[in-house]
Amino acid sequence: MSATPFADTLALLTRQRGVLGSMVVSEADGIIVDSNLQIGVKGNVVAALAASLYRKARLSAQAAGLGTAAFLQLEAQRGRVCAVGRGDLLLVTVAESRANVGLIRVELMRAAEVLG
Amino acid sequence: MSDEVRRLSDELARDPASLVFLPLGEALRRQGQLDIALKVAVRGLERHPHNADAHDLLARIAVDRGELERAFDEWDMVLRFAPGHAGAKRGMGFVCFRQGRLEDAERYLAEALEADGGDQSTVAALATVRRSLGRPLSEMPAHAPTPVHVPPVVPARQVPRESTADAEQTRDAAPAQPESRAASSTREEPAWLTHTLRTGEASPAAPAPRPPDVGPRDREALSRNPRALFADLIGDADQTALLLDADGFVLAGAYLAHDGRDVAQEVGAELSGVSDEAQRAMRHLDLGDWSQIIVETEVASVILAPAALGGLLLVAADRAMPLGSVRRFLDRALARGRIFVGGDA
Repeated sequence: MSATPFADTLALLTRQRGVLGSMVVSEADGIIVDSNLQIGVKGNVVAALAASLYRKARLSAQAAGLGTAAFLQLEAQRGRVCAVGRGDLLLVTVAESRANVGLIRVELMRAAEVLG
Repeated sequence: MSDEVRRLSDELARDPASLVFLPLGEALRRQGQLDIALKVAVRGLERHPHNADAHDLLARIAVDRGELERAFDEWDMVLRFAPGHAGAKRGMGFVCFRQGRLEDAERYLAEALEADGGDQSTVAALATVRRSLGRPLSEMPAHAPTPVHVPPVVPARQVPRESTADAEQTRDAAPAQPESRAASSTREEPAWLTHTLRTGEASPAAPAPRPPDVGPRDREALSRNPRALFADLIGDADQTALLLDADGFVLAGAYLAHDGRDVAQEVGAELSGVSDEAQRAMRHLDLGDWSQIIVETEVASVILAPAALGGLLLVAADRAMPLGSVRRFLDRALARGRIFVGGDA
Protein backbone atom coordinates (compact mmCIF):
# COMPACT_ATOMS: atom_id res chain seq x y z
CA MET A 1 0.00 0.00 0.00
CA SER A 2 1.46 3.38 -0.97
CA ALA A 3 1.81 6.16 1.58
CA THR A 4 -0.65 9.04 1.47
CA PRO A 5 0.52 12.63 0.86
CA PHE A 6 0.14 13.22 4.58
CA ALA A 7 2.29 10.39 5.90
CA ASP A 8 5.53 12.33 6.28
CA THR A 9 3.81 15.29 7.89
CA LEU A 10 2.00 13.08 10.39
CA ALA A 11 5.17 11.22 11.26
CA LEU A 12 6.96 14.50 11.84
CA LEU A 13 4.22 15.73 14.15
CA THR A 14 4.02 12.53 16.16
CA ARG A 15 7.76 12.66 16.79
CA GLN A 16 7.32 15.84 18.84
CA ARG A 17 7.84 15.34 22.56
CA GLY A 18 4.60 14.49 24.32
CA VAL A 19 2.56 14.02 21.15
CA LEU A 20 0.54 10.81 21.28
CA GLY A 21 -0.68 10.91 17.75
CA SER A 22 -1.69 13.01 14.82
CA MET A 23 -4.18 12.55 12.05
CA VAL A 24 -5.85 14.14 9.07
CA VAL A 25 -9.59 14.21 9.56
CA SER A 26 -12.55 15.22 7.46
CA GLU A 27 -14.21 18.13 9.23
CA ALA A 28 -17.64 17.34 7.87
CA ASP A 29 -17.98 13.83 9.26
CA GLY A 30 -15.03 13.26 11.60
CA ILE A 31 -13.69 10.32 9.56
CA ILE A 32 -9.92 9.72 9.64
CA VAL A 33 -8.22 10.29 6.29
CA ASP A 34 -4.77 9.30 7.55
CA SER A 35 -3.19 8.92 10.96
CA ASN A 36 0.00 8.23 12.87
CA LEU A 37 -0.93 7.16 16.39
CA GLN A 38 0.80 5.59 19.34
CA ILE A 39 -0.65 2.37 20.61
CA GLY A 40 -3.63 2.87 22.86
CA VAL A 41 -4.81 6.18 21.39
CA LYS A 42 -8.47 5.97 20.39
CA GLY A 43 -8.03 7.56 16.98
CA ASN A 44 -11.63 7.30 15.86
CA VAL A 45 -12.92 8.93 19.02
CA VAL A 46 -10.36 11.74 18.90
CA ALA A 47 -11.06 12.35 15.23
CA ALA A 48 -14.81 12.52 15.66
CA LEU A 49 -14.67 14.78 18.68
CA ALA A 50 -11.96 17.06 17.32
CA ALA A 51 -13.88 17.52 14.08
CA SER A 52 -17.09 18.26 15.91
CA LEU A 53 -15.39 20.71 18.25
CA TYR A 54 -13.53 22.47 15.46
CA ARG A 55 -16.66 22.76 13.35
CA LYS A 56 -18.55 24.24 16.27
CA ALA A 57 -15.76 26.69 17.00
CA ARG A 58 -15.50 27.70 13.34
CA LEU A 59 -19.22 28.34 13.00
CA SER A 60 -19.41 30.14 16.33
CA ALA A 61 -16.45 32.37 15.51
CA GLN A 62 -18.02 33.27 12.18
CA ALA A 63 -21.36 33.97 13.80
CA ALA A 64 -19.65 36.16 16.36
CA GLY A 65 -17.98 38.14 13.60
CA LEU A 66 -14.49 36.93 14.41
CA GLY A 67 -13.68 35.56 10.97
CA THR A 68 -12.49 32.11 10.03
CA ALA A 69 -11.04 29.91 12.73
CA ALA A 70 -7.46 28.92 12.03
CA PHE A 71 -6.29 27.06 15.10
CA LEU A 72 -8.02 25.39 18.01
CA GLN A 73 -6.60 24.00 21.20
CA LEU A 74 -8.48 22.18 23.89
CA GLU A 75 -6.54 21.99 27.13
CA ALA A 76 -7.46 19.50 29.83
CA GLN A 77 -6.04 18.09 33.04
CA ARG A 78 -4.28 15.15 31.39
CA GLY A 79 -3.63 16.32 27.89
CA ARG A 80 -4.60 18.53 25.01
CA VAL A 81 -6.03 18.32 21.55
CA CYS A 82 -4.92 20.76 18.85
CA ALA A 83 -6.37 21.22 15.40
CA VAL A 84 -5.82 23.38 12.34
CA GLY A 85 -8.12 23.42 9.35
CA ARG A 86 -7.84 23.99 5.63
CA GLY A 87 -10.96 23.58 3.58
CA ASP A 88 -12.71 20.40 4.58
CA LEU A 89 -9.68 18.80 6.20
CA LEU A 90 -8.27 19.09 9.69
CA LEU A 91 -4.86 18.28 11.02
CA VAL A 92 -5.31 17.05 14.58
CA THR A 93 -2.83 16.15 17.29
CA VAL A 94 -3.46 14.71 20.70
CA ALA A 95 -0.74 15.28 23.25
CA GLU A 96 0.12 14.86 26.90
CA SER A 97 -0.07 17.89 29.13
CA ARG A 98 3.74 17.98 29.39
CA ALA A 99 4.04 18.58 25.64
CA ASN A 100 5.38 21.91 24.42
CA VAL A 101 2.20 23.34 22.97
CA GLY A 102 3.95 26.33 21.47
CA LEU A 103 6.11 24.05 19.39
CA ILE A 104 3.20 21.84 18.45
CA ARG A 105 1.25 24.89 17.33
CA VAL A 106 4.09 26.10 15.11
CA GLU A 107 4.54 22.65 13.60
CA LEU A 108 0.82 22.27 13.05
CA MET A 109 0.50 25.63 11.31
CA ARG A 110 3.42 24.76 9.11
CA ALA A 111 2.18 21.27 8.41
CA ALA A 112 -1.31 22.53 7.56
CA GLU A 113 0.06 23.62 4.22
CA VAL A 114 -0.04 20.01 3.06
CA LEU A 115 -3.80 20.03 3.48
CA GLY A 116 -3.94 22.25 0.44
CA MET B 1 -13.82 71.44 5.96
CA SER B 2 -11.76 73.61 8.27
CA ASP B 3 -7.99 73.52 8.27
CA GLU B 4 -8.01 72.04 11.75
CA VAL B 5 -10.35 69.21 10.78
CA ARG B 6 -8.36 68.53 7.63
CA ARG B 7 -5.10 68.45 9.55
CA LEU B 8 -6.50 66.14 12.22
CA SER B 9 -8.09 63.89 9.60
CA ASP B 10 -4.78 63.55 7.82
CA GLU B 11 -3.06 62.77 11.07
CA LEU B 12 -5.61 60.11 11.91
CA ALA B 13 -5.27 58.59 8.45
CA ARG B 14 -1.53 58.33 8.96
CA ASP B 15 -1.92 56.71 12.36
CA PRO B 16 -5.38 55.20 12.84
CA ALA B 17 -4.43 53.84 16.25
CA SER B 18 -3.60 57.28 17.63
CA LEU B 19 -5.76 59.35 19.94
CA VAL B 20 -6.15 62.09 17.34
CA PHE B 21 -9.74 61.00 16.93
CA LEU B 22 -10.47 62.81 20.19
CA PRO B 23 -9.71 66.37 19.03
CA LEU B 24 -11.03 65.52 15.56
CA GLY B 25 -14.36 64.29 16.92
CA GLU B 26 -14.58 67.32 19.15
CA ALA B 27 -13.84 69.70 16.28
CA LEU B 28 -16.51 68.06 14.14
CA ARG B 29 -18.99 68.18 17.00
CA ARG B 30 -18.40 71.88 17.48
CA GLN B 31 -18.94 72.42 13.77
CA GLY B 32 -22.28 70.63 14.10
CA GLN B 33 -21.21 67.70 11.91
CA LEU B 34 -22.66 65.28 14.39
CA ASP B 35 -23.00 62.20 12.20
CA ILE B 36 -19.37 62.37 11.16
CA ALA B 37 -18.29 63.18 14.69
CA LEU B 38 -20.20 60.13 15.89
CA LYS B 39 -18.49 57.89 13.34
CA VAL B 40 -15.08 59.20 14.32
CA ALA B 41 -15.81 58.67 18.00
CA VAL B 42 -17.21 55.18 17.53
CA ARG B 43 -14.26 54.11 15.40
CA GLY B 44 -11.90 55.54 17.98
CA LEU B 45 -13.70 53.61 20.68
CA GLU B 46 -13.24 50.40 18.72
CA ARG B 47 -9.51 50.83 19.14
CA HIS B 48 -9.63 52.39 22.58
CA PRO B 49 -12.74 50.94 24.18
CA HIS B 50 -11.61 51.80 27.67
CA ASN B 51 -10.42 55.32 27.10
CA ALA B 52 -12.38 57.63 29.39
CA ASP B 53 -11.99 60.66 27.15
CA ALA B 54 -13.36 58.73 24.19
CA HIS B 55 -16.51 57.88 26.11
CA ASP B 56 -16.69 61.49 27.25
CA LEU B 57 -16.55 62.63 23.64
CA LEU B 58 -19.27 60.18 22.65
CA ALA B 59 -21.41 61.42 25.54
CA ARG B 60 -21.15 65.02 24.41
CA ILE B 61 -22.00 64.07 20.84
CA ALA B 62 -24.97 62.12 22.15
CA VAL B 63 -26.19 65.19 24.02
CA ASP B 64 -25.97 67.22 20.85
CA ARG B 65 -28.03 64.56 19.11
CA GLY B 66 -30.62 64.73 21.85
CA GLU B 67 -29.77 61.21 23.06
CA LEU B 68 -29.67 61.95 26.75
CA GLU B 69 -29.91 58.36 27.95
CA ARG B 70 -26.99 57.34 25.81
CA ALA B 71 -25.00 60.33 27.01
CA PHE B 72 -25.70 59.39 30.60
CA ASP B 73 -24.57 55.82 29.98
CA GLU B 74 -21.37 56.98 28.31
CA TRP B 75 -20.54 59.31 31.17
CA ASP B 76 -21.28 56.48 33.54
CA MET B 77 -18.67 54.45 31.64
CA VAL B 78 -16.23 57.35 31.94
CA LEU B 79 -16.56 57.18 35.70
CA ARG B 80 -15.76 53.48 35.66
CA PHE B 81 -12.44 54.21 33.98
CA ALA B 82 -11.73 57.54 35.63
CA PRO B 83 -13.74 57.86 38.85
CA GLY B 84 -12.59 61.43 39.42
CA HIS B 85 -13.64 62.73 36.01
CA ALA B 86 -15.31 66.04 36.87
CA GLY B 87 -16.58 66.56 33.33
CA ALA B 88 -18.48 63.27 33.42
CA LYS B 89 -20.10 64.10 36.74
CA ARG B 90 -21.02 67.54 35.51
CA GLY B 91 -22.44 66.00 32.35
CA MET B 92 -24.53 63.50 34.30
CA GLY B 93 -25.78 66.38 36.38
CA PHE B 94 -26.68 68.11 33.15
CA VAL B 95 -28.65 65.14 31.88
CA CYS B 96 -30.48 64.80 35.17
CA PHE B 97 -31.31 68.49 35.12
CA ARG B 98 -32.69 68.21 31.61
CA GLN B 99 -34.76 65.25 32.68
CA GLY B 100 -36.14 67.10 35.67
CA ARG B 101 -34.30 64.88 38.17
CA LEU B 102 -33.11 67.77 40.24
CA GLU B 103 -31.99 65.83 43.28
CA ASP B 104 -29.83 63.54 41.15
CA ALA B 105 -28.51 66.59 39.34
CA GLU B 106 -27.61 68.12 42.66
CA ARG B 107 -25.75 65.00 43.74
CA TYR B 108 -23.72 64.72 40.55
CA LEU B 109 -22.90 68.40 40.52
CA ALA B 110 -21.81 68.28 44.13
CA GLU B 111 -19.50 65.40 43.26
CA ALA B 112 -18.22 67.34 40.26
CA LEU B 113 -17.48 70.27 42.51
CA GLU B 114 -15.69 67.98 44.91
CA ALA B 115 -13.56 66.67 42.05
CA ASP B 116 -12.86 70.10 40.62
CA GLY B 117 -13.60 72.77 43.17
CA GLY B 118 -12.20 75.51 41.00
CA ASP B 119 -14.76 75.19 38.24
CA GLN B 120 -16.99 78.22 38.55
CA SER B 121 -19.60 76.96 36.12
CA THR B 122 -20.19 73.93 38.32
CA VAL B 123 -20.51 76.17 41.34
CA ALA B 124 -23.08 78.25 39.52
CA ALA B 125 -24.91 75.18 38.27
CA LEU B 126 -25.12 73.68 41.71
CA ALA B 127 -26.41 76.93 43.12
CA THR B 128 -29.07 77.03 40.41
CA VAL B 129 -30.19 73.48 41.03
CA ARG B 130 -30.26 73.92 44.79
CA ARG B 131 -32.25 77.11 44.43
CA SER B 132 -34.71 75.25 42.21
CA LEU B 133 -35.00 72.63 44.90
CA GLY B 134 -35.73 75.31 47.47
CA ARG B 135 -32.64 74.56 49.47
CA PRO B 136 -31.67 77.09 52.13
CA LEU B 137 -28.93 79.52 51.32
CA SER B 138 -26.68 77.80 53.82
CA GLU B 139 -26.43 74.85 51.46
CA MET B 140 -25.28 76.96 48.54
CA PRO B 141 -21.71 76.50 47.41
CA ALA B 142 -19.57 78.79 49.49
CA HIS B 143 -17.80 80.39 46.57
CA ALA B 144 -20.66 80.87 44.14
CA PRO B 145 -19.79 83.73 41.87
CA THR B 146 -22.11 86.66 41.29
CA PRO B 147 -23.15 87.65 38.82
CA VAL B 148 -23.11 84.57 36.55
CA HIS B 149 -23.49 84.85 32.81
CA VAL B 150 -26.26 82.79 31.30
CA PRO B 151 -27.23 82.09 27.71
CA PRO B 152 -30.48 83.19 26.16
CA VAL B 153 -33.43 81.45 27.74
CA VAL B 154 -34.33 78.28 25.85
CA PRO B 155 -36.98 75.93 27.17
CA ALA B 156 -35.23 72.64 27.75
CA ARG B 157 -37.99 70.60 26.15
CA GLN B 158 -37.78 72.62 23.01
CA VAL B 159 -34.05 72.42 22.55
CA PRO B 160 -33.64 70.97 19.08
CA ARG B 161 -31.30 68.05 18.70
CA GLU B 162 -28.64 69.88 16.82
CA SER B 163 -29.02 73.11 18.71
CA THR B 164 -26.03 72.98 21.00
CA ALA B 165 -23.61 74.44 18.50
CA ASP B 166 -26.13 77.14 17.68
CA ALA B 167 -26.65 77.79 21.35
CA GLU B 168 -22.95 78.21 21.81
CA GLN B 169 -22.78 80.70 18.98
CA THR B 170 -25.80 82.57 20.30
CA ARG B 171 -24.29 82.61 23.73
CA ASP B 172 -21.12 84.12 22.40
CA ALA B 173 -23.13 86.95 20.94
CA ALA B 174 -25.51 87.42 23.84
CA PRO B 175 -24.98 90.04 26.50
CA ALA B 176 -24.29 88.94 30.01
CA GLN B 177 -27.37 88.56 32.14
CA PRO B 178 -27.81 88.29 35.89
CA GLU B 179 -28.04 84.94 37.58
CA SER B 180 -31.53 85.59 38.88
CA ARG B 181 -32.86 85.02 35.41
CA ALA B 182 -31.51 81.49 35.31
CA ALA B 183 -32.85 80.85 38.75
CA SER B 184 -36.37 81.82 37.81
CA SER B 185 -37.20 78.49 36.15
CA THR B 186 -35.73 75.01 35.92
CA ARG B 187 -36.70 74.95 32.25
CA GLU B 188 -34.13 77.57 31.42
CA GLU B 189 -30.84 76.55 29.88
CA PRO B 190 -28.24 77.64 32.41
CA ALA B 191 -24.75 78.55 31.44
CA TRP B 192 -23.25 75.37 32.71
CA LEU B 193 -25.23 73.27 30.23
CA THR B 194 -23.37 74.66 27.30
CA HIS B 195 -20.28 75.00 29.40
CA THR B 196 -20.36 71.30 30.04
CA LEU B 197 -20.27 70.63 26.34
CA ARG B 198 -17.90 73.44 25.56
CA THR B 199 -15.24 72.48 28.02
CA GLY B 200 -15.75 68.77 28.46
CA GLU B 201 -12.54 67.94 26.71
CA ALA B 202 -10.65 70.32 28.91
CA SER B 203 -11.61 68.51 32.08
CA PRO B 204 -8.57 66.53 33.05
CA ALA B 205 -9.39 62.88 33.47
CA ALA B 206 -8.12 61.40 36.66
CA PRO B 207 -5.67 58.61 35.97
CA ALA B 208 -7.47 55.30 35.70
CA PRO B 209 -6.76 53.22 38.78
CA ARG B 210 -5.03 49.88 38.44
CA PRO B 211 -5.97 48.18 41.68
CA PRO B 212 -4.26 44.87 42.25
CA ASP B 213 -7.40 43.52 43.86
CA VAL B 214 -10.99 44.52 44.35
CA GLY B 215 -11.94 45.91 47.72
CA PRO B 216 -15.44 45.85 49.18
CA ARG B 217 -16.27 49.34 47.92
CA ASP B 218 -15.04 48.55 44.40
CA ARG B 219 -16.92 45.29 44.44
CA GLU B 220 -20.08 47.09 45.36
CA ALA B 221 -19.48 49.61 42.58
CA LEU B 222 -18.73 46.88 40.06
CA SER B 223 -21.91 45.06 40.93
CA ARG B 224 -23.72 48.24 39.93
CA ASN B 225 -22.02 48.29 36.53
CA PRO B 226 -21.01 44.76 35.56
CA ARG B 227 -20.12 45.90 32.03
CA ALA B 228 -17.02 47.52 33.47
CA LEU B 229 -15.97 44.56 35.59
CA PHE B 230 -12.76 43.98 33.62
CA ALA B 231 -12.15 47.57 32.57
CA ASP B 232 -9.06 48.21 34.65
CA LEU B 233 -7.55 44.87 33.57
CA ILE B 234 -8.12 45.63 29.93
CA GLY B 235 -6.71 49.15 29.89
CA ASP B 236 -6.22 50.45 26.37
CA ALA B 237 -5.33 47.11 24.85
CA ASP B 238 -7.40 45.60 22.05
CA GLN B 239 -8.90 42.92 24.22
CA THR B 240 -12.06 42.26 26.08
CA ALA B 241 -13.60 39.80 28.51
CA LEU B 242 -17.06 38.40 29.11
CA LEU B 243 -18.33 36.45 32.05
CA LEU B 244 -21.19 34.15 31.09
CA ASP B 245 -23.46 32.13 33.31
CA ALA B 246 -24.17 28.44 32.86
CA ASP B 247 -26.82 29.23 30.25
CA GLY B 248 -24.57 31.45 28.17
CA PHE B 249 -26.07 34.73 29.37
CA VAL B 250 -23.70 37.62 29.98
CA LEU B 251 -23.04 38.32 33.64
CA ALA B 252 -20.36 40.94 33.19
CA GLY B 253 -18.11 42.53 30.61
CA ALA B 254 -18.75 44.09 27.24
CA TYR B 255 -17.98 43.35 23.61
CA LEU B 256 -18.20 46.31 21.26
CA ALA B 257 -18.87 45.72 17.57
CA HIS B 258 -17.47 47.93 14.82
CA ASP B 259 -20.51 50.19 15.00
CA GLY B 260 -20.15 50.67 18.74
CA ARG B 261 -22.95 48.30 19.72
CA ASP B 262 -22.39 45.98 22.62
CA VAL B 263 -22.75 42.51 21.09
CA ALA B 264 -21.64 40.66 24.20
CA GLN B 265 -24.82 38.61 24.39
CA GLU B 266 -24.56 37.44 20.78
CA VAL B 267 -20.87 36.59 21.02
CA GLY B 268 -21.34 34.90 24.37
CA ALA B 269 -24.26 32.83 23.18
CA GLU B 270 -22.43 31.66 20.05
CA LEU B 271 -19.14 30.79 21.69
CA SER B 272 -20.52 29.25 24.84
CA GLY B 273 -21.74 26.36 22.70
CA VAL B 274 -18.11 25.42 22.11
CA SER B 275 -17.69 24.55 25.76
CA ASP B 276 -20.57 22.07 25.55
CA GLU B 277 -18.71 20.29 22.77
CA ALA B 278 -15.56 20.29 24.87
CA GLN B 279 -17.42 18.77 27.78
CA ARG B 280 -18.66 16.02 25.53
CA ALA B 281 -15.19 15.37 24.17
CA MET B 282 -13.70 15.14 27.65
CA ARG B 283 -16.14 12.43 28.65
CA HIS B 284 -14.88 10.21 25.84
CA LEU B 285 -11.18 11.01 25.76
CA ASP B 286 -10.35 10.45 29.43
CA LEU B 287 -8.29 13.63 29.58
CA GLY B 288 -9.89 14.96 32.77
CA ASP B 289 -11.75 18.25 33.02
CA TRP B 290 -11.05 20.81 30.35
CA SER B 291 -9.38 24.00 31.48
CA GLN B 292 -9.11 26.15 28.35
CA ILE B 293 -10.23 26.29 24.76
CA ILE B 294 -8.18 28.52 22.53
CA VAL B 295 -9.54 29.51 19.15
CA GLU B 296 -7.41 31.62 16.86
CA THR B 297 -9.32 33.27 14.06
CA GLU B 298 -8.40 35.65 11.28
CA VAL B 299 -8.89 38.68 13.50
CA ALA B 300 -8.82 37.55 17.09
CA SER B 301 -7.52 35.12 19.64
CA VAL B 302 -10.31 33.82 21.84
CA ILE B 303 -9.89 31.80 25.01
CA LEU B 304 -12.72 30.16 26.90
CA ALA B 305 -12.32 28.85 30.41
CA PRO B 306 -14.69 27.45 33.01
CA ALA B 307 -15.74 30.05 35.55
CA ALA B 308 -17.39 29.92 38.95
CA LEU B 309 -20.88 28.44 39.38
CA GLY B 310 -20.75 26.55 36.09
CA GLY B 311 -20.21 29.72 34.13
CA LEU B 312 -17.75 30.53 31.39
CA LEU B 313 -15.18 33.25 30.95
CA LEU B 314 -14.41 34.39 27.44
CA VAL B 315 -11.52 36.67 26.60
CA ALA B 316 -10.81 37.93 23.13
CA ALA B 317 -7.85 39.91 21.92
CA ASP B 318 -6.53 41.26 18.69
CA ARG B 319 -4.72 38.58 16.74
CA ALA B 320 -1.55 40.64 16.93
CA MET B 321 -1.41 40.22 20.67
CA PRO B 322 0.88 37.35 21.72
CA LEU B 323 -1.09 34.34 22.89
CA GLY B 324 0.87 34.23 26.13
CA SER B 325 -0.31 37.74 26.97
CA VAL B 326 -3.88 36.76 26.26
CA ARG B 327 -3.54 33.82 28.63
CA ARG B 328 -2.17 36.06 31.36
CA PHE B 329 -5.11 38.37 30.83
CA LEU B 330 -7.39 35.34 31.11
CA ASP B 331 -5.86 34.40 34.47
CA ARG B 332 -6.45 37.88 35.86
CA ALA B 333 -9.97 38.02 34.45
CA LEU B 334 -10.76 34.63 35.98
CA ALA B 335 -9.67 35.87 39.38
CA ARG B 336 -11.80 38.99 38.97
CA GLY B 337 -14.76 36.88 37.84
CA ARG B 338 -14.47 34.70 40.93
CA ILE B 339 -14.59 37.77 43.15
CA PHE B 340 -17.56 39.14 41.25
CA VAL B 341 -19.57 35.94 41.42
CA GLY B 342 -18.61 35.50 45.03
CA GLY B 343 -19.76 39.03 45.74
CA ASP B 344 -23.01 38.39 43.99
CA ALA B 345 -23.66 35.16 45.76
